[in-house]
Amino acid sequence: MDTHKERDYEFIIQPNKSWFYFDWKGLSYYRDLLFFIVKRDFYSKYKQAVLGPFWFIISPLATTLVFTVVFGNMIKIPTDGMPPVLFYLCGLLAWRYFVACLNGTSDTLVSNAHLFGKVYFPRLIPPIAVVISNFFSFILELIVFLVFIFYFKFFTLADSKIQPNFIIFLLPLLVIQIAILSMGIGLWISALTAKYRDLIFLMGFLTQLWMYATPVIYPASMVSQKWRIFIVVNPMSSVVEAFRYAFLGVGLLRVDYLLFSAVATLVIFLSGLLVFNKAEKTFIDTV
Amino acid sequence: MPKPIIQVEKLSKLYDLGVVGATTFRDSMERRILNLLGQPDKTRKIGLKHRTIALDDPQAGPDPNSIWALKDISFTVERGEILGIIGRNGAGKSTLLKILSRITEPTEGKAVIRGRVSSLLEIGTGFHPELTGRDNIYLNGCILGMRKLEIDSKFDEIVAFSGIEKFLDTPVKRYSSGMFVRLAFAVAAHLEPEILFIDEVLSVGDFDFQQKCLRKIGEVSKEGRTIIFVSHSMNAIETICSRGIILSQGRVVFEGSQLDAIRCYIASSTENKK
Repeated sequence: MDTHKERDYEFIIQPNKSWFYFDWKGLSYYRDLLFFIVKRDFYSKYKQAVLGPFWFIISPLATTLVFTVVFGNMIKIPTDGMPPVLFYLCGLLAWRYFVACLNGTSDTLVSNAHLFGKVYFPRLIPPIAVVISNFFSFILELIVFLVFIFYFKFFTLADSKIQPNFIIFLLPLLVIQIAILSMGIGLWISALTAKYRDLIFLMGFLTQLWMYATPVIYPASMVSQKWRIFIVVNPMSSVVEAFRYAFLGVGLLRVDYLLFSAVATLVIFLSGLLVFNKAEKTFIDTV
Repeated sequence: MPKPIIQVEKLSKLYDLGVVGATTFRDSMERRILNLLGQPDKTRKIGLKHRTIALDDPQAGPDPNSIWALKDISFTVERGEILGIIGRNGAGKSTLLKILSRITEPTEGKAVIRGRVSSLLEIGTGFHPELTGRDNIYLNGCILGMRKLEIDSKFDEIVAFSGIEKFLDTPVKRYSSGMFVRLAFAVAAHLEPEILFIDEVLSVGDFDFQQKCLRKIGEVSKEGRTIIFVSHSMNAIETICSRGIILSQGRVVFEGSQLDAIRCYIASSTENKK
């Protein structure tokens, strides 16, 4: 055994390691595991369903259809002059990725307790895997959305209103923001549910409430000054509006709102990481 | 002189029995509000009245209902050594393995581990019923700490060992329980860690399977691996281990050759019966 190898593997088990101690080496060592968990999550999702992977496309379309009929045709909520289908599809593209990641990461500790109680691997692997495997669903939904834009732009009368623009280049950053925002909140909830199981039951309400507080089914431009503050403090609002602005050319795009949203996202993500990291070390004693 | 591969110094683990009941948000808030109002804590009061841990209990912790599952455990294991840990139920054996394999943190003390660790635990951990045998070999191998390249190189060996070649691309949920166990064990048996933890309580199985386990452990030990073996089977300890320690009520009460440890353990249990 050469000494180099020995040094590589040495680790010290100690109580109350600093809040800022992270097992970076472990994360990189277990990257193959990350790959296989992502593969598992993606492949096993619609196994034994007749339509299989088509569900990745059908579920956003079905939701869009419901929104178009109910909010677009029946209640007639304005859509910034866009065809309702495009308007909702665009909002849902961002929102569905957010919710999928949030739901997947928020029960990390509890749903993996049987694994975590028996074997060590960095506890951050499952939440990261959730964010990545949902990213692939996001890409599929994005492709569907682009097909719809193409159709509306070139085969309908709405063509002149749809103005994709250079904000599209911000898209990768926005997607990363959704990923780390949802993961940050998910890690917070996950750390808390290890002790307080009640939060699991609240998750459904939380995500529903949050969707209504985010301009998914209505444009932010419709929100009066009095309520504008709720749009500003909700980091997801600026992201959804920026998505619409990039693809369709409508929406509320303000640099100060976007910056605030980015800072809030970072704060939530980093604090979530710390709290999760702290809870993860002994949660198996209380779970 | 190389450093010992496992070095445990005054390791302790405190479990708070009083907190066990307070797992819901409501309980916790109720206690906090009562505290704010200056009223005595209900759970604490119950704890004080019905003291589950006697004051003179050697394991009694600082709080009325806390218990030292482990207290001041110190020992070292040299490279290539096979250490057997024996002790009654509740002596702290599994807790010790949990701390050494980083599943939970100790309350006090420190342990240094200088090598790659794996535990032979309840087999089939992390198997996914929808995935094929092939995918599960990779997933399970990675969960147990192998890299993809390692699994690639041992893949054929693992398949041959398990004898499920024909069903490699069938979802595991269609396997018979016997096939499932064989595949799971095949993966676990091909781990090549420098340190292996085996908790017998966790690896239940039929006689054949246990024999296979023991044979494999014997082979592994010949390859110079370090093993910590927890067992109630004195027979297994005697044949496999080279040293033994006895845990009792969270403390190390004996450390020496495995034969002496067994003798001491049997003597102490017959003494207790009188």
